[in-house]
Amino acid sequence: MLILLLAILFLPLLSFSFLFTLSKRANEWAGWVAVSATVVGLLFSVFLVKSTLTPVQTFSFEWIVLSHRSFEVSLQIDNLALLMLLLVHLIALLVQVFSMSYMRYDLAKARYFAFLELFIFSMLLIVLSGSLLLMYVGWELVGLSSYLLIGFWVEKPRAVWAAKKAFLLNRIGDIGFLAGILLLFGYVGTTDFTLLTDSTLGTPNSALKTLIGLLLFGGVVGKSAQFPLSAWLPDAMEGPTPVSALIHAATMVAAGIFLLARIHFLLTPDALLVITVIGTLTMTTGAYRAVFQDDIKKLLAFSTISQLGLMVVGMGVGAREAALFHLLTHAFFKAGLFLCAGAMIHAVHTQDMRQMGGLRTKMPFTFVAYTACGAALAGLPFFSGFLSKDALLVATWAWATAHGGWAYLLPVLCLLSAGLTAVYIARQWKLVFLERNRGIERTNLPIEDNYLKIPMLVLAILSVFVWFSWHPFEAAHGWFFRVFPTQQHPDLHLIVAISATLTSALGIFIGLKITVQESWLSVFLARIYDVYLTNFIQKLSRGLAYFDQYILDTTVNGLGYLTVIFAHIVGRFDKMVIDGAVNGAAWLAGFVGNRTRSLQNGQIQSYFIALFLGMLVLFFLILG
Amino acid sequence: MTTYLLSFLVFLPLVGSGVIVFLPSAQKQWYKWIVLGFCAIEVLFAGILYFYFQPNIAGYQFVEKADWITLSLGDLGIVSIDYLLGIDGISLPLVMLTAVVMLVGAISSWTISYHEKAYFSLYLLLTTSIMGCFVALDFFLFFLFFEFMLLPMYFLIGLWGGPRREYASIKFFLYTLMGSLLILIVMIGLYLSVIDPHASELMGSWVHTFDLRYMTDGRNYLPDSLLSLSGEVNLFGMPSRMLAFWLLFIGFAIKLPIVPLHTWLPDAHVEAPTPVSVVLAGVLLKIGGYGLLRIAYPIFPDAANEYAFVLASLGVASIIYGGFNALAQNDLKKMIAYSSVSHMGFVVLGIGSLTAEGINGAVYQMVSHGILSAMLFLVVGVLYDRTHNRLIDSYRGLVGLMPVFAIITGVAFFASLGLPGFSGFVGELFTLMGGFQSAVLPTWLVALGTLGIVLAAAYFLWTFQRLFFGPLWAKNTTDLTLLSDLNFHEKIMLVPLSVLTFLLGIFPSFLFQLSDKTIAELIKIFE
Repeated sequence: MLILLLAILFLPLLSFSFLFTLSKRANEWAGWVAVSATVVGLLFSVFLVKSTLTPVQTFSFEWIVLSHRSFEVSLQIDNLALLMLLLVHLIALLVQVFSMSYMRYDLAKARYFAFLELFIFSMLLIVLSGSLLLMYVGWELVGLSSYLLIGFWVEKPRAVWAAKKAFLLNRIGDIGFLAGILLLFGYVGTTDFTLLTDSTLGTPNSALKTLIGLLLFGGVVGKSAQFPLSAWLPDAMEGPTPVSALIHAATMVAAGIFLLARIHFLLTPDALLVITVIGTLTMTTGAYRAVFQDDIKKLLAFSTISQLGLMVVGMGVGAREAALFHLLTHAFFKAGLFLCAGAMIHAVHTQDMRQMGGLRTKMPFTFVAYTACGAALAGLPFFSGFLSKDALLVATWAWATAHGGWAYLLPVLCLLSAGLTAVYIARQWKLVFLERNRGIERTNLPIEDNYLKIPMLVLAILSVFVWFSWHPFEAAHGWFFRVFPTQQHPDLHLIVAISATLTSALGIFIGLKITVQESWLSVFLARIYDVYLTNFIQKLSRGLAYFDQYILDTTVNGLGYLTVIFAHIVGRFDKMVIDGAVNGAAWLAGFVGNRTRSLQNGQIQSYFIALFLGMLVLFFLILG
Repeated sequence: MTTYLLSFLVFLPLVGSGVIVFLPSAQKQWYKWIVLGFCAIEVLFAGILYFYFQPNIAGYQFVEKADWITLSLGDLGIVSIDYLLGIDGISLPLVMLTAVVMLVGAISSWTISYHEKAYFSLYLLLTTSIMGCFVALDFFLFFLFFEFMLLPMYFLIGLWGGPRREYASIKFFLYTLMGSLLILIVMIGLYLSVIDPHASELMGSWVHTFDLRYMTDGRNYLPDSLLSLSGEVNLFGMPSRMLAFWLLFIGFAIKLPIVPLHTWLPDAHVEAPTPVSVVLAGVLLKIGGYGLLRIAYPIFPDAANEYAFVLASLGVASIIYGGFNALAQNDLKKMIAYSSVSHMGFVVLGIGSLTAEGINGAVYQMVSHGILSAMLFLVVGVLYDRTHNRLIDSYRGLVGLMPVFAIITGVAFFASLGLPGFSGFVGELFTLMGGFQSAVLPTWLVALGTLGIVLAAAYFLWTFQRLFFGPLWAKNTTDLTLLSDLNFHEKIMLVPLSVLTFLLGIFPSFLFQLSDKTIAELIKIFE
């Protein structure tokens, strides 16, 4: 069991080291190495699912032992981990197959696949970790692999800039995560999921528990691109498109949701409320901004932000299982959409949708796959997205009913976002496929080889409802909620399903009709990070450097100069006054000597005169 | 076998220095081999120390003691200065670090091309004085080594440095001398207050001692002396013990360095030749941290508790201030110098927390930073050797020309910014953990310190992006032809260091098991 787990975990790391070391020499067959590693991992994971009897198993290893405590790293396997294990492997496999065609002419293919393997390793580390500390390790490593992959085309300045931005914004969230972990160590002494329980932190709604929960949520805000750290995700689209599908749509960004699911029992009602608000903000702004995008990938990125917001809302209202369900369905259809987008970019060499159009006839296969995945995103009945969105909407509705008053805003906003989702995806669909071709005519169209087709096909098929529930309008009896049982609200179901479907239909209608222009709000939101925040930090650091160089260092040098000047004054003093006094005394003695020397002339008469004068003086002195 | 090991460790380089001095200049091709050989033996000795060191013992091991100076001063008692060496779990990791960094520095010194005799003999002299600092247990002896270090450093910067070397070396010298002066004052005060109980009993009169082991034990303070524990003596309106602690702290803070006493560091680094920068950042700064741990904190635990907040605040200020300054630099060496200020701030924070995690983390962070800063300065040296230009904005897209260099730099940068899997992460994790657990520090202060992690990511990534990515370009087009990838000589330094930071990051227990017992014993006095 443990061996299997370690094999799953370290196989990608091994293939990373192998491919990275060989680098260009492995270009020809790097893809096959990566694919076979992932296939083996997938098989092992399936085997693990079959053989897991007990619900939770942990394996601990001592990492650091101090006199009064020890720090362990532990692996944990449970249903949640198994689900993610399968998901990550499956999507990684499809993306790797897709990449074999997509990156065919790239000169650094081996490096590309090596980085993908590094990513898979880090992601599996997150999934399998049994403690928050180890999860943080994986958390940072996915950040690194994301950095390497976004900036994979190193000669593209924009891509490198976006990679740095992604890493930094993630880091900001991560210090919250780290601080939360360290506080847990301080107050509980462990971050092991099995040892942390609801009661370890005192009363259910203590301020400390809220604080720790929110700090940990900081990591989610960074990784899952929540408000206000969501700005990195759209820029991350500068990376290769299969990477966007794997990392920035299906798996890494979902790690935040996974983390929330892991620590859900730690979150107090206050913390959950904050999480819900953040999620709502992310969901609505993301959906709003997606409507105004003309870049095919950026639109999908904003859509991802919005969908992640929806999942966070689900976590916030306590619908942990429904949020996970949406994570699963979203991973498939969003990865599918990205791969379709990739296939189109591959063919037309532009990402601007205004230059596309008419691809329905040129790329019929992509058109079909895209339509299926898009329908799932829009939440149309008979597609997977409908089931999971429905579960989430029902949960928000139930939450609103329980809280009353303002809480009803939440389901309304969720519905609104669902409507906006339909608007932007319909608009994209129309721009890319329906209208006449506006771009330059390309002779080599269409490029749809099997490496591209099969992953798209699989993901499109997985966007259909049957894989999740036999009932097309109701997931409550599907396998997912049997494995992850949760409270169901059958009474709310009908009204939610109907209103959601109507909203989506309306959204699609609008989306097919409108033409949009960038709005001022959208522009402002885009500038927050890139202009205002960056400028502020640069000015601050320049100011401090100025302070250091011109004020602090000048003070030090000034003190030095003052000392030297003082030394000169002392030197002068020494020369003029002290030495002067000495010299003066010597000079005086010499002067007196000189002046009196003539008295000593050896003539008896002058001695006599001197004697006489002296006697005279004495005489007067005695009398006077 | 191990009786005189420490003496050998300290004085063997001195022998090497003598050999070089007496070897005629005609034989100068041998100098570098001699230095290399002696430094390799130092590493070997450090390895033997590690092998025979017993981590389960908290006290000093390999202790060597000999009477050195004994003078009767009549009514003032008897002066006793000992030749006293010994190591414990705090000094051993630093001794091992010193051996490794000096060896790397020796390899890096091979490119020195003038006044070889002077350079290499001074280099070995420096090795002796640094090693002496880490193993001396007599305050007087420590001070002697501590002061003596200035001499070779002054000349190494002043003779083989860059254009402003004279300014930088005199600045370094004066700054450190200033610190030494403060330490000297406290040393004399301590000397007057502390007696050797055994010898006093034996001789029938007070025997004053410089033995650090006696200084850390409150029972050995004369009741009405200057620094007696009762704390009744006031100097300048301050209890004398508190004042003495601050003098010691400032003395070591200059070495460390802590904001605002750091301004000598960027200048010294910018002007120093690469191997001297490596030694300076890799080892010399650690003597400041070591001094705090060996002398200031154990001798004045009362003051350490009293001022915990101020001390840790200085650490946090260094972290943040150094980070912002590093972000603003265009000179690579200056950027790394300020990053050193930031990273050494974690050491102060860890020590200031007065917890086992924090202090273990501080020792670990010192070793980790020793390795990483050595790497970072070597990396700059690689670029500087080729083009004599260290400005970040003079290069772009170097990854195409120098892929191996890019990978090694990436390892150094990412390890320094605290990526898990490398040593920098563990150091930051434990110093911060100590801070969060500390009973004497508020949580918000330590939380402020975590900002340093973001800043480190910002300046390292920004630098990395500007140097290596984008279209290939250099300010001076002839530079492009000079920019060749790492040669064997550079790889043999950088690759082992990369492996070392990786191994320490994965198996931090290697160091923690050494320092654990000693520190568990140490923190008892803070309670």
